[in-house]
Amino acid sequence: MPPYDDWNKIDDEEDEELQDASYLESKKDVILFCIDCSESMLELREDPVYENVQTCHAYAALDAAMQIQKKKVITGPNDAVGILLFNTTRKAETSRNQGSEIKRNCYVYQPIAPLSAPKIQEVIQLLDAFREDPEELKNQFPPLTDGKRVAMGDVFTSCNWVLRDGAPKTASKRVFLITDEDDPHSGPGAKQLVNSARTTLIDLTQSGVTVEPFFISTEEKPFDLSKFYSSVLLPNNLVDEDDVDPDDPSVLRESIFTSRIEDLLAHMRFHEVPKRAQFSIPFELAKGLTLGVKGYGLVTEQKKGAYKYFVDLGERMEVATVQTVYVDEDRQAEVDKTKMVYGMDVGAAGDDDEDHGGTRVVESGQRPFYTAEDIKSFRTLGMEPGLKLLGFKDRSELLFEDNVKHSLFIYPDEMTYAGSKRTFSALLKSMVKKKKIGLVLSLTRRNASPTFCALLPQEEKQDEAGWTEPAGFHLIPLPFADDIRAAPVEEGCRASDETKNAARAWIDKLSVKNGAYPPDSYPNPALAFHNAQLQATAFGEEFDEDAFEDLTAPKVDMIHKRAGKLLEAWKSAVANDESALSAAPTVEKRGTKRKADIDVSEAEIRSRFADDKLNKLTVEQLKVFLKSKGQAVSGKKQDLLDRVEEFLSK
Amino acid sequence: MPAERAGYTVTMFVVDIGPSMGRLRTHDPEGNELAQEITNLEWGLQFVKLKIQEMIFNGRKTDQCGVIVFGSRKTRNILNKRMKEGYDRVLEYIPIAQPNAGTLARLDALEPSDEAGDPLDAVIVAIETQDDHLGSKKTWTRKLVLVTDGENPIEVDDQGATARKIKDLDIAVTVVGIDFDDEEYPYTEEDKSHIKTENEAFYRQLIDDLGDNGVMGTCALALRETVRPDIKVTKSVLMGTTLRLGDTDSRPEEAMEINVKTSKCTAQSHAKSWKKFGERKKRREDGKVKVEDDDEDDEMDVDGEEPTQGAKKKVTFAQLKMRTEYYVDRRDHDEDEDVKMEEVEKEPEPEPEEDDDGPTNKIDPGLEQVDKEELIRGFKYGTTYVPCPDGQFGRLPTKKGIDICGFFLAKNFRRELCLGEIQYVWGDPSQPEQQVAISSIAQAMFEKNAMAIARWVTKDGMDAKMGVLAPCIAEGVDCLLWAQMPFADDVRKYTFASLDNLVSKKGEVLKEHAYIPTETQLEAMDNFVDAMDLMDAGEKDEEGNRAPWFDTRLSYNPAIHRVKQAQFHAAVVSDINKNPLPPPHPELLKYFEPPRRVLKRAREAIEEVKSEFKVKQVPKKVARTRKDGHVHAHDDDDEMLLLDAKPPTRSASQSQSQIKVTASPAGKGKAKAGVADDSATEDDSDGEDLLAASAAKKPAGTPPPQRKAHNPLPTPARSLSPEFDPARAPGRIVGNTRPLADFKANIARGDMVSKAVEDLGAVVAEIVMRPFANRRSAELMECLEALRDTCLKEDEIDAWNTFMKDLRKKCTSEPGNAQFWSLVQQAGRKIGLISDVEAEEHGGTSSVSESKAEKFLA
Repeated sequence: MPPYDDWNKIDDEEDEELQDASYLESKKDVILFCIDCSESMLELREDPVYENVQTCHAYAALDAAMQIQKKKVITGPNDAVGILLFNTTRKAETSRNQGSEIKRNCYVYQPIAPLSAPKIQEVIQLLDAFREDPEELKNQFPPLTDGKRVAMGDVFTSCNWVLRDGAPKTASKRVFLITDEDDPHSGPGAKQLVNSARTTLIDLTQSGVTVEPFFISTEEKPFDLSKFYSSVLLPNNLVDEDDVDPDDPSVLRESIFTSRIEDLLAHMRFHEVPKRAQFSIPFELAKGLTLGVKGYGLVTEQKKGAYKYFVDLGERMEVATVQTVYVDEDRQAEVDKTKMVYGMDVGAAGDDDEDHGGTRVVESGQRPFYTAEDIKSFRTLGMEPGLKLLGFKDRSELLFEDNVKHSLFIYPDEMTYAGSKRTFSALLKSMVKKKKIGLVLSLTRRNASPTFCALLPQEEKQDEAGWTEPAGFHLIPLPFADDIRAAPVEEGCRASDETKNAARAWIDKLSVKNGAYPPDSYPNPALAFHNAQLQATAFGEEFDEDAFEDLTAPKVDMIHKRAGKLLEAWKSAVANDESALSAAPTVEKRGTKRKADIDVSEAEIRSRFADDKLNKLTVEQLKVFLKSKGQAVSGKKQDLLDRVEEFLSK
Repeated sequence: MPAERAGYTVTMFVVDIGPSMGRLRTHDPEGNELAQEITNLEWGLQFVKLKIQEMIFNGRKTDQCGVIVFGSRKTRNILNKRMKEGYDRVLEYIPIAQPNAGTLARLDALEPSDEAGDPLDAVIVAIETQDDHLGSKKTWTRKLVLVTDGENPIEVDDQGATARKIKDLDIAVTVVGIDFDDEEYPYTEEDKSHIKTENEAFYRQLIDDLGDNGVMGTCALALRETVRPDIKVTKSVLMGTTLRLGDTDSRPEEAMEINVKTSKCTAQSHAKSWKKFGERKKRREDGKVKVEDDDEDDEMDVDGEEPTQGAKKKVTFAQLKMRTEYYVDRRDHDEDEDVKMEEVEKEPEPEPEEDDDGPTNKIDPGLEQVDKEELIRGFKYGTTYVPCPDGQFGRLPTKKGIDICGFFLAKNFRRELCLGEIQYVWGDPSQPEQQVAISSIAQAMFEKNAMAIARWVTKDGMDAKMGVLAPCIAEGVDCLLWAQMPFADDVRKYTFASLDNLVSKKGEVLKEHAYIPTETQLEAMDNFVDAMDLMDAGEKDEEGNRAPWFDTRLSYNPAIHRVKQAQFHAAVVSDINKNPLPPPHPELLKYFEPPRRVLKRAREAIEEVKSEFKVKQVPKKVARTRKDGHVHAHDDDDEMLLLDAKPPTRSASQSQSQIKVTASPAGKGKAKAGVADDSATEDDSDGEDLLAASAAKKPAGTPPPQRKAHNPLPTPARSLSPEFDPARAPGRIVGNTRPLADFKANIARGDMVSKAVEDLGAVVAEIVMRPFANRRSAELMECLEALRDTCLKEDEIDAWNTFMKDLRKKCTSEPGNAQFWSLVQQAGRKIGLISDVEAEEHGGTSSVSESKAEKFLA
């Protein structure tokens, strides 16, 4: 970990590394779960996973909401969440409700508020109570009976009010609508109700709220969009807020999830983080031919949250604000940021007394330093943000080792340049067809520096889980000459064909057919371990370390079962490999005198260790052993003995 | 010759300070005018100072230098002392030592003298001084740099002896000539004096004689080469670890354990950071603090510089140190649990707002500074405080090493998932058996074309990373390469609209749409991709085959080297205004443009793509502030703000974009298609004036009034509504009210240049012919200047010339505006016709000859 004072050290001139996190955290996200509590949602059914356990759609929806809350509280501690239930007769106790009242048969279970441990625990307790007594939800939130339903228009209006009261203006606001009813207004007056639903939804969208529907579809009751929702939902309701819908409205934008209840959480996860573009810049294909593109970070290392400093004020803990100031130490005078100038380290002054440490004296009126504006232009070389195509290369030119940082994803932006989509699409198709990559010069933000990137085309592809890989280009930053290190090893012993074949045997056994690196199967164990402890402490629970499972650990049993014997055979092949036996070039170099007594087998050392007679060995013998184990060989004999013991006792 | 080692070098700088070095330079080597003139001496010294700055930068004790000047008033040098005579006007100005900032300051104090000295004398002195200093240290590298303008006579008697001596002592000699002719730069001085021609020939002969020991170059080249990007070679450290497979603890006989060393294969390097400085305020005797400025203060500098320089006022800049302060808000919150988000938001940003009132950064007055000792570490779980005095929770126990989890075929590898820098994994170089083990695995993987999934722990207890291992079969050794891959937590799954699969509201799959490229468009793009291919656009190899253009190993990070250049420059000049930073080394920019060959080859294909796809920039919209978080339905008036002289920043346009909704119930979809589609329809009307076309179409796109209330259908952003600027004639993008602003805004956007040029011309001609036009003469002249400038640069030269001829006709005929025309005549050629000579300078062509252009204004 860096020193604790370092974490806000980076200021805008050196912020390149900081970009993703700070960018995304600066904007708050607000989600209002809007859950249908009708009779069918509350109808008890067999739990698909656990035997003899009953569940209901509303339970699953609340459970998913709670899971999302748990996740959000860690990824975005300043985000806010609320839960609104509809089709229930429960009335609000006035004390709990905020500001304006909402429509009848809608109930604010949790108003929009920043996440906190008690808030999440409240949902967990409710869910636990349901597990104890399946009638709990029905009792708490009695559904409207006799097929009566609240008008969807009223639901949207309620959402609007709840969000207006609770959500900060600048936040991205979303409503997760969960229902299993595809035709809420079939009876008389349907037309009017449909109209009102449509208008209220438009109102909601206009106040900056996106509605993301999650429709539950079952075999008995498939969800038919065309009955009601296709005429109500806006074409852009799945679009993030800064991606204005430029589309022809005659086109249904994106698939709307109609999912099995089991997949509800998985589908919500796709939408958990609001889609935000990191940049929107022009992409120049040639002089006078420019497209608009937006860039997204699809892979970024998720780090543990930074700790904060708190002050104990007695009745509460308050976060301390950390501020960095720049001072002239000799004078203890603070200097304003706008008056700062930039230069090179003056360095320790030499024998000449002209410079006292850290100062530079010039004649009045002279300017020996740069302004903040100057140094920014040095970094950008005067370039404006944008991508510039340099040409195309074969796909094979993009080497495995030409990587220094994560990639970005670009997608056309019709709103800045009309015609971007068709051009982008044609370029993508052509490059896929010809197996080409693009080479571009890129400056994604005003305070970044120009970088050469490979433009890797990606075709649209759908996988079995219903996830669609979007069409677009991956922007892969290439290393500069300055970033490439020479290989420090130029020669080594090579394996014979037999040894290679022995290795090939177990590699074949351990290969996953049609496999690839599966990011989804590897949740970050360190992060999960940290977050689990954070949550346990917040909830006031004990953290059970043994219950923690590291999913990234290799499946050793499977490895041994499939390839154990082959590995053994390979090891003997390696031990008998000619080139290793004959080579040993570096070993010969060291003092040949004592070579005779060096050969102590590992078995002998282990037996000596068991008898506690390690100290009979010479320093040289200890060193050889340690070296073969990749351990350090520095220090006195006692250090070496300690190290050997430590190693063997592991 | 032994390989040169870093340091262990004495460099002698021999600098000519004779009177001719005092000549002023008004232009830089490229012929651009300098902000302020500098002397030849200052220019030459820049090279010396940059070299010395590099030594200071490297900070080696064994990297030393000395400075000998000739043409000085005083004579003081080792040979004159030894022989009591001769070697006049040669001064050992700075004795040999490790240089520091003071060395540079002393060089700044040098001024041209009134009588020349002999360069060869000075070189001999330098050689002797260096030899004397080094004495027995035979292994040190000796270097000598001579800076001269070659304008003064040289006593060439003992030239041969000097050359021999240089060779004997193995001194590397560099002659830096002020305005010497140089083919490499290339530079040729016009009106060179006879003596300089002779001297240059002499130096060239000398350098030739010296063979490998001598180089010579003109000062401009030397300066440029000081900023040639060079790669700091970092030795990668080999780190020991273990590559494992299987359960090495309980089933060691069946498990694999290889001792490996890892080292970095790529490592991002960054520009050196800048140090922050602040102008130091002075304490006056009355204790008050003030900023020193020009018009007062004659007291001595606190730092007490030499009295000889005391005549001029001094300013001290002090390097700033960072200090962290902690503040806390002790005020009670209004509510306890349900803290409103706005409240939380109020936490002051760590970065203070820019504010001019004094050095104190603005802090919320309700905040109170606290000592660091009072602080407790913890995390926020939403609004809940979670104490964690260590700053971290217990870590997951992990064991150092790289564990292989399985293998997969390389063709399924997703390159875009790579997270960071690449590492080499070597079999331990001192253990052949381990090398063989790694080699066998690498070869087997290579043969199978497979990669491994692996988990890496760098140290016991450190967080594990997931990644892939790929085989690397190099010339002399087999190894593996590691690339870090993302965890589930690191991958974001955003949904994007399909580019191909467009479904109409009715559920039909659309085959034709403005977003879907047509067959001809696809073909044009194919041709473009072929034409812009770089695989054969690089340098030719020995067999004459062209290599691909662009090589990562030759692509320097422009930011790093430019920043270094700027830092060095600031360190050696005392005033950036007077002596601005020279341009970056061309090597830094060599990959900034596609290769010429390729552009030439692709010219037709580019034009075809342009005309096929017709991409148009959409004018930016003005961000509107939203009150109370709600927005009323748009009405058409809102769209009047479409064009504004100052387009809002992109982010602003984004934030407002959420308000803009294109909502349409399915039934009405068709009516609207015409609007959002107009870019597509425009395509059909090719050849026609696009703007006129779209403006004419505008009424069709206006939403039917009945939808106004609830359906905030925006006018298509790219069509320009004629109502916007009443003074803007239909179809024109430049209005009569503020033509220049309109014109500039259009040019800045970079599209429709021809249209803007045409329209501004028309507007100017209109205004000129109106009554009271002369009130706007100044404005019109400005317009003409801007228009001409644009025409020249944007290859609209013919348009300009036609326009001017037309304007003259209009002004001089009846009823004309002779007064305005005489203004044009007074302005002269800078506003006249563009001749073929001028056009060529800007890469264009013109049918107007020089003389014709001259006559035009007569």
